[in-house]
Amino acid sequence: MSNQRQASSASQTPHLSPAELSYLYTSLSLPKSPIRPDGRSPTQFRPLTAESNILPGTNGSARIGFADGTQAIVGVKAEVEKTVLSTDTLASSEGGEGEDSTSTSNSAAASGHGSWVQMSIEIPGFRDDDALPVFLSEMMRESLVGSVADGGSDGGGDGGGDGDVTMAGGLKGRLVINKRWHWRLYIDVLLLSQPLSYPLPLLSLTTHLALLSTKLPKLKSQGEEDPFFDDDWEVAEYLYPRSSNLKAAGNASQYVRPPVTLLVVSVGENIIFDPSREEIAVADAVLAISVTRDTEAGNLKLLSIRTVDPPSRLTQPAVPNSENVNMLGATAPTEDIAVLNPATGEEEVPGVWRPRRGGVKRSVIANMVKTVLKKGGVGEEVLEGLEGVEVE
Amino acid sequence: MNDRRRVNGPPGGTRPPVYASLLQSGTGADTRAQRQRQPTDLRKIFLKTGLIPSASGSSYLEFEPSASLAAARSNPKSLIPPSSALKLACTVHGPKPLPRSAPFSPNLVLTTHVKYAPFAARKRKGHVRDSSERDLGVHLETALRGAIIAERWPKSGLDITVTILEAEDDRWWGDVPDSHDASWGMMNVLAGCISAASAAIADAHIDCLDLVSGGVAALVSDDSTDSPSALPKLMLDTDPAEHRSIVSACVVAYMPARDEITELWLKGDSSKVSTADGDQRSGHEALIDGAVDAARGAHTVLAEAVRESLQKTLGQS
Repeated sequence: MSNQRQASSASQTPHLSPAELSYLYTSLSLPKSPIRPDGRSPTQFRPLTAESNILPGTNGSARIGFADGTQAIVGVKAEVEKTVLSTDTLASSEGGEGEDSTSTSNSAAASGHGSWVQMSIEIPGFRDDDALPVFLSEMMRESLVGSVADGGSDGGGDGGGDGDVTMAGGLKGRLVINKRWHWRLYIDVLLLSQPLSYPLPLLSLTTHLALLSTKLPKLKSQGEEDPFFDDDWEVAEYLYPRSSNLKAAGNASQYVRPPVTLLVVSVGENIIFDPSREEIAVADAVLAISVTRDTEAGNLKLLSIRTVDPPSRLTQPAVPNSENVNMLGATAPTEDIAVLNPATGEEEVPGVWRPRRGGVKRSVIANMVKTVLKKGGVGEEVLEGLEGVEVE
Repeated sequence: MNDRRRVNGPPGGTRPPVYASLLQSGTGADTRAQRQRQPTDLRKIFLKTGLIPSASGSSYLEFEPSASLAAARSNPKSLIPPSSALKLACTVHGPKPLPRSAPFSPNLVLTTHVKYAPFAARKRKGHVRDSSERDLGVHLETALRGAIIAERWPKSGLDITVTILEAEDDRWWGDVPDSHDASWGMMNVLAGCISAASAAIADAHIDCLDLVSGGVAALVSDDSTDSPSALPKLMLDTDPAEHRSIVSACVVAYMPARDEITELWLKGDSSKVSTADGDQRSGHEALIDGAVDAARGAHTVLAEAVRESLQKTLGQS
């Protein structure tokens, strides 16, 4: 039990022998051209099947299945809730001033509150207060509510009203109905299979797709009236406005998009995306990087980075022949000469697995982020791929 | 999961009454705490090890309160203290044998618990750990596991418990929770937890690669009145109560001897930053470098505290 708890922050360590780990590490750390167990290129994702709007009882939903059999379903539900008025908002409304340019533009009533988005993750074999689900949901929620397009300075009282809102305040601004009412968003993530690999990429992609397909009923009331909605589901508006023609990629960059969280590992000098279970087991460093599209510049911007505890620190070490009593006298002494591993800066005998120690160099982190963010890089590829999934 | 064994107090707590007239005259620059330090100045840290005799290693850490707190004490205008400073205690139990039921582990099994005292923050925290505390525990575990040489203690466990006695504010108390409502104070708490836990581990004489220390840097846009397009500035060791809006922040756990980061947590929009001329770094790189600089500063305190504790043990024997 305690072993599961311990490993829960990274993922379960697969039961690989030190020899297998060393083999994996050596082939993944080959300079410039890592050889992955499934033959993918370093930036290639596993094939997946995706569909959205599968649950009629939700505002938006999606299912993604990876080829290895892991599947996740995400349902997004929205509820109307009364905004708790703060003293600041009260003071300005008593003053009778209609303009809310300076005093209330930063208040919760105008630009939303992070706690309006609630996220829960259900992973089989884990209690909902175990470290892994808590860590994953915090990681995904923080980039979701943090993705403010600009400082919320012009997130006025019009939120949720007209169809082509540009989502001034990001997702939080979009949830504002008027000064007294807002939407509360429940995002429920269900992993259907055992977490074979670290489930973050799967859950993040599914959540992204579900949010893209989320629709909120059209508001009929105006201004500060109690909200009253059109009961025709056909005219409901997307939470994240969609471009009218999906093929125009240049047009799509103007729309705010939910963030995606990518799992990136470094092995030796190589940077590898979407690691499988075996690959993550030998990683030197594991980073979860959340990105979204920058609406002004059109390129990608970084929302959050978190290190994930690499499971390679928990693996069993191997014993070199020179220290192995059973091999005494059987090997020539020249066979295991410890050499310096340039990536970790430690003495290692080639082919003998040592659990990883220490952290990650700053240059490696900068390199990982650059690979995600660069024009035409992995981040853009993923966002475009998800945009292409048919929503209807 | 709710605690059903005790009769708990109201989950929301209560707020002291604040008169609207007071607020209207009071909001503004004069009551909000202002940062008195230079952008690269760090707060002083008090760190002492070995205060809890029953634990194999322990430490107590305190950040220097902001200057506004002393001013408010001497000349009280309001019942509410303007800012709070981090105070936390950390205990290390172990290395001890794993229970019989536990499966074999070739490495030291690390468990971290971070708990806010119910009175630590302005809003009362329950006795059961909530998600933010569990999240902090995972961050702390990641930070420490990279530093501890775990294979020297097979089949053993190490329990690290951090009790936060006073937490940093997420924002100035008078500000309404707004678009910049992320829990920035949590990042300072994590940095304190990392440094304190590192000192406690050293106090318990557990082999590490280096003393790992925590540091925080943030991109802050304070003067919203001048021009809204002003780029956010980089500040080290930010107290969230002293700033109008924090755009993004970063906390690292850093080992200076190896120049390696064992834990990195960056959040917020770091795409825009005003850097010095000729500085080619992008926002997040500047932020990470700033946090590393802050961690280097904390490391000097950490090394001094560990040296002190060692001299004490040598003097006793």
